[in-house]
Amino acid sequence: MTTASASYRSCLLFSTLALGLACAAPGAARAADPSNAQCFTPASNSNGTVSMPAKKGPYRIAFANGFIGNAWRVQMLQTLKAYAAQPEVASQIKELRIVSVGTDVSAQIAAMDNFISAGFDAILIDANSPTAFKPVMRRAKQAGVLIVSFDNTLDRTATETDLVQVNQDQKAMGRMMGEWLNQTMKEKKRVIEVRGVPGNSVDRDRHDGFREAMAEDPGIQVSEVVGNWDDGTGQKAVADTLAVTGGVDGIYTQGGSTGVTHALLDSHKPLIPIAGEGENGFRKLIAANSKDGLLGDSAGQSPALSAVSLKVALAVLGGQSVPAEISVPIPSANYKTLEPGKNYFPELSDTFFAAHDFPVCDINLTAAQITGVAAK
Amino acid sequence: MNRAGLRLVLRHNALPLLAGVIFAAMFGLYLALQPNGIRTDVLVTASNKGVLLALIAAAQTLPVLTGGIDLSAGAIVVLCNCLASILVNGSGLQIALGVVGVLGGGLAAGVFNALAVVVGRLQPIIATLATSTMFYGVSLLLRPSPGGDVDDDFASRLTGAWYGIPVSLILLGAVLLLVWMPFRRSLTGRGIYAVGSAEASAYMSGVKVAPAKFAAYVGAGLLSGLAGLLLTLIAESAQASAIQAGDLTLNSIAAVVIGGTSLFGGVGGIVGSVLGAFILRTIGDLLFVLKASPLWQPLFQGLILLLAVSLGALPMLRIRNRLETYR
Repeated sequence: MTTASASYRSCLLFSTLALGLACAAPGAARAADPSNAQCFTPASNSNGTVSMPAKKGPYRIAFANGFIGNAWRVQMLQTLKAYAAQPEVASQIKELRIVSVGTDVSAQIAAMDNFISAGFDAILIDANSPTAFKPVMRRAKQAGVLIVSFDNTLDRTATETDLVQVNQDQKAMGRMMGEWLNQTMKEKKRVIEVRGVPGNSVDRDRHDGFREAMAEDPGIQVSEVVGNWDDGTGQKAVADTLAVTGGVDGIYTQGGSTGVTHALLDSHKPLIPIAGEGENGFRKLIAANSKDGLLGDSAGQSPALSAVSLKVALAVLGGQSVPAEISVPIPSANYKTLEPGKNYFPELSDTFFAAHDFPVCDINLTAAQITGVAAK
Repeated sequence: MNRAGLRLVLRHNALPLLAGVIFAAMFGLYLALQPNGIRTDVLVTASNKGVLLALIAAAQTLPVLTGGIDLSAGAIVVLCNCLASILVNGSGLQIALGVVGVLGGGLAAGVFNALAVVVGRLQPIIATLATSTMFYGVSLLLRPSPGGDVDDDFASRLTGAWYGIPVSLILLGAVLLLVWMPFRRSLTGRGIYAVGSAEASAYMSGVKVAPAKFAAYVGAGLLSGLAGLLLTLIAESAQASAIQAGDLTLNSIAAVVIGGTSLFGGVGGIVGSVLGAFILRTIGDLLFVLKASPLWQPLFQGLILLLAVSLGALPMLRIRNRLETYR
């Protein structure tokens, strides 16, 4: 999607972030599109860029994945393969080699070393540790190999020049959900916030963003419960809270949104606005119940970050300069914009991550394209 | 050595020898499929991660030989990883002291396990499960968030190559030749085997049971500490990760079994476990050169592992009476 309206919407969402070209004017964004300025937006905490001497394609790309044990990771791998199979992408790739090494840091370092020895042009990584890759990054730099890290990114030190990091701004996501709740709630007295896994930086950032948005209306009382981003845990926590407190006006859950929504539906209390993650099950419930008052907003960490990272790698290898820290737009949908087969999928399982597409990055894979490559 | 003697040696070492053959075949295949031929950096990469697991497997072997187990091996590695990320820095002398400090940390953790199992008489499986959580707790206190700084030169040198030979491999060879071989022949070393074969008989025969067990757990702590040091040099940082600890412990037990050491104790040895560790790591490398599709990789990994363990168990099929293994 390259329309001006898309650019305008992303400007609204990210107005508080540093946003370079794309926010200047909708017209300018369209002109800048060949360089993917809308997709490769710099994160708020970074202003450096990464560029390498242009290499002639097609390229050899490697992905050193960590563990592969949950639905998100599987979908992330499937998305990467599906995106690489798109004709215009496939023509730029000579080889895409993927290895999943499990949770051991030393095995992931060794996998990267192997890729460097084998002469790959770029290595993608979803890192097992934010700090353990300094030595292998040095070897990558010596060999002139580009590293693109995403999802679990690295702690950048001053020495990495050939490292691009791709992620979503978790704090912005929390703030976005808080602002939507603020606008949507009929009354603003009490809100339930369902947090993620304690001690995790993503949980901290989303919470901070959400509370910033809530603080704009000091009358709101926020009750916090821990849901561990898990359907069962979140459902129980919210069911308990709804049972003991009356007059809840809205819910924000960082994850396990399907379970949390079930808790609300099962309580037989008046339906209220609920902001949650990008699970297909959550979106199915919103679509089915929005006319009864279950207004929902859904945004999440997209498994397609892997595809964006591949896109970034190809751009840099082709000689383009990109921001060192890229914050991609957050894929979101609400009860007004939900469309079956487009941003939620009645025929797919509840655990599919429906918040997966990045239109501004020209990454518009269908659910069938993603799940269809499973057995290959 | 006459022919009968040779046959005896072969029979006594059948399982480690078989593990050696399996490893040679797998690693040979890996090298043959290397796109750019056999290069030092490929060997160094394989050696670093292989030796790391080999040291932990060696540590695990000692308690297993006594009929026990050390579920805290991975946690001691992570603990010493965190310790090393603080201590191994500065001048040459400071680095040397840091290394001693890290190994001392591993030793102390081993002593703690030994006290719990030998003096406290707790079942090893539950005692070391409890201590592993404790060690992880200490790691978190030492390093609440991932990071740390290790001397670049020192780390690069010890994880690099010396005249084309990976330095980590030389380190492992030194541990086997200078520590394990003499220890195995010592009274305490033989005591470990005796205790694992039949504890009551060993006691009746005058074997000092308690010191043998004590030595096994302390030795395990020390070797895990060495592994923690190596992990720090590979990563030049530390992370108090319970997942990493669990991963390493589980793989060390798998390596011990692949290497032909019985989980019931009394049979096997460190050389087999080291080969078992290298076999495990080579499975991962084979996925790399065989270009397996990502979603099939876990299945392939499991199948190759099962095949390796089954091959290791083949000699057992020919034995009519288990006692024959001791003849």
